[in-house]
Amino acid sequence: MKTDTINQTKAGMKSTQLTLKRKWSDTLRVTLRSVVKVKGGLWGGIFVGIMLVCAIGAQWISPSDPNAQDIVHRFAGPSLKHFLGTDYLGRDILSRIIYGCRIAVMVAFGAVTLSAIVGVFLGVMGGYNEGKKIDYFIIWLFDIVRSFPQIILALAIVAVLGPSLLNVVFALAFTAFPFYGRLARAKTLSVKEADYVKAAEAMGLKRIKIILRHITPNILAPVIVCLGMDMATMIIWESGLSFLGLGVRPPTASWGIMLRNGYKYILTSPLMILWPSVAIAVAMVAFSLFSEGLRVALDPKERER
Amino acid sequence: MLKYIIKRTLWVIPTLVGVLIILFSLTYLMPGDPASIMLGPRATPELVEDLNKRMHLDRAMPVRLGYYLLGVAKGDLGTSVWSGHKVSSLIADALPHTILLAITSLGIAALIGILLGTFAAVRRESPIGGVVTIFSLLGVAVPDFVAALLLMLLFCVQIPLLPALGAGVEGDLVDIAVHLILPATALGIGWVGYLSRLNQESMLDVLDSDYIRTARAFAVPKRAIAYRYALKNAVIPSITVIGLGVGKLLGGAVFVEIIFSRPGLGKLIVDAVYARDFPVVQGGILVATILFVFANLIADISYAFVDPRIQYD
Repeated sequence: MKTDTINQTKAGMKSTQLTLKRKWSDTLRVTLRSVVKVKGGLWGGIFVGIMLVCAIGAQWISPSDPNAQDIVHRFAGPSLKHFLGTDYLGRDILSRIIYGCRIAVMVAFGAVTLSAIVGVFLGVMGGYNEGKKIDYFIIWLFDIVRSFPQIILALAIVAVLGPSLLNVVFALAFTAFPFYGRLARAKTLSVKEADYVKAAEAMGLKRIKIILRHITPNILAPVIVCLGMDMATMIIWESGLSFLGLGVRPPTASWGIMLRNGYKYILTSPLMILWPSVAIAVAMVAFSLFSEGLRVALDPKERER
Repeated sequence: MLKYIIKRTLWVIPTLVGVLIILFSLTYLMPGDPASIMLGPRATPELVEDLNKRMHLDRAMPVRLGYYLLGVAKGDLGTSVWSGHKVSSLIADALPHTILLAITSLGIAALIGILLGTFAAVRRESPIGGVVTIFSLLGVAVPDFVAALLLMLLFCVQIPLLPALGAGVEGDLVDIAVHLILPATALGIGWVGYLSRLNQESMLDVLDSDYIRTARAFAVPKRAIAYRYALKNAVIPSITVIGLGVGKLLGGAVFVEIIFSRPGLGKLIVDAVYARDFPVVQGGILVATILFVFANLIADISYAFVDPRIQYD
C-alpha cells in the first residue's frame, strides 16, 4: 500500500512537471498571438513574414534571374516584363530587390544572433561574478567597444578583414555585443538575488547549471525585444556598408549595392534609387512595428493594460 | 554626486587606452604593405628597409604598440602613407566640416523635435500630434543615407534648387549655408522624429504626475505649468539620447559626407580605407571616438545635474 501511494505521488509529480513545462512552440504561438493584438503589430508581423518568405524562397518568387542582363532594355521603366524596370545592365530590379531581401535578412539575423549570444554570455558571466576581477574586465571590454561610433568601427573591421558576407556579419556583431552584454548583466544582477537562485545555490547546484538553467532563461525577454529592434538597425548597416563598397561583393544583389549603382546613375535613372529606398523603408517600418509589438507582448506590465 | 562625476571622468582613461589598443591591432592586421604603397612598385629593397625602420615596421608587435601609444600621447598621429601630409593636419582640415554639419543638424533637430513634442503633449487635440507621428515614421523608415540620396535626387536632380556637391567656398557664409541645407536635413530628419516622439511621451508622463496636479490645484497658469514645471523634467530623456546620438551622428556623417562629397572626417576615413592609408584610418577613427567618448561623458554628467533625484553610488 505504501509503495502505491509513493507511486501515485510520483505519477502526480510527473504530471505536474509535464504541465509546468511549456513547449517552445506553445510559447511562440502565445507570444505571436499577443504581438498581433498590439496596435500595428499585425501589420509589422505581416510584412516581416513577407520579408522572411522573400528571403527564404527568393529563387521561386522572383520573376527572373537577378543577374541576367537584358542590355538592350537597360534603364527601362516599369513594364509587364520588368515590373519595377531595369538597372544600368538591364537587370530586373524587382528580382534584385527580392534577392536583396535575402542578403539583408541573412546578415541582420546572423549579426544579431551572434552578438546576442556573445553579449548574453559575457553579461551573465559578469553579473554573476559581480565585483570580481572578471566582472570589471568584462565591463571594461563593453565600454571600450561602446566608445566607438558603431558604423565607423564596423567599416574599419570590414576594411581589415576584406568585404564579404561573413565578415560583414562578424563586424556588425562585434559592434553590437556590448549592448546585449550590458542588458544581460543588469538583468542578471537582479535575477541572481531571487529566491529560486538562492535555493539552487543552497542545494549545491553547479554554477554553470545555475547560470544556464535558472538565470539565463529569466533574462531573455528583454534580450529578445532588443533582437527585434536591432534587426532593423542591422539591415540599415548592411546596406550602408554595401553602399560604401565595404559590404557584400557587387554581383550579389543587395539593397546597398543597388543604391550605390543608383547613386552613380542618379542623373539617368531615378528609379534605381527609388525602389531600394522603398524596400528599406518597408523593412524598417515592418521590423519596428513588429518589435514594438514584441516589447508590449513580452512585458507583463504592458500586457495587463 | 561629486564622487560620481570624478569616478565617471576617470573611467575615460582606461576606456581610451583600450580604444587605442583595439585601433592599433586593427591596423596591425590591415592587409597592404605601407612600404610598397608609399614607394611604389620600383622601390629598391634598401629603400623599403629604410622606410620600415623609420616607421618601426620591422619591430615586434608590442614594441610597435609602445611607439604608437607614445606618439599619440605626444599628439603625433603619424603621416599619411599616400600624400605624406601629417595625419593631424589632415584631420584638422576635415574636422570643422563635420562638426559644423553635426551641430547644425542636431541643434536644429533638437529644437524642432522638443518643441513639436511639447506642443503635441500640451495641446492633445491639435493636429501637431499628427505631425509628430509623420516625422517619427519618416525617421524610422528613412535612414540617413537613404534620406541623403532621396534629397539629392529631389532637390538637385529633379528640381535643381540646391548645390549637390562640396562644402561651399571658404569664407563665403551664404555659400556654406546653402551647401549645408541638404546634408543637415538628411542627417537631422530622423532626430526630429525620434526626439519629438520621446519628448511627447515623457511630457505626457510628467503632466500626469502628482506635483503637476498640485500646481493645477493652486491655480498656477496653464502655460507656466507646462513650460516652467513640466518641461524641465520632460527633457531629461532627450539629453541622454542626444549624448548617445553623437556616435550615431558621426556614423551618419560618414554616409552624408560621401554622398554630398563634403570634405569632412567621415569622407577622410572612408577614402583612407579605400586607399589602404592606415595611419589616416587610425587617426580619423581615434578622433571620432574621442569626440563620442567626451560627448557621452558630458551627457552623463549633465544628466546628474539636471536630475538630482537620481542616486549614484
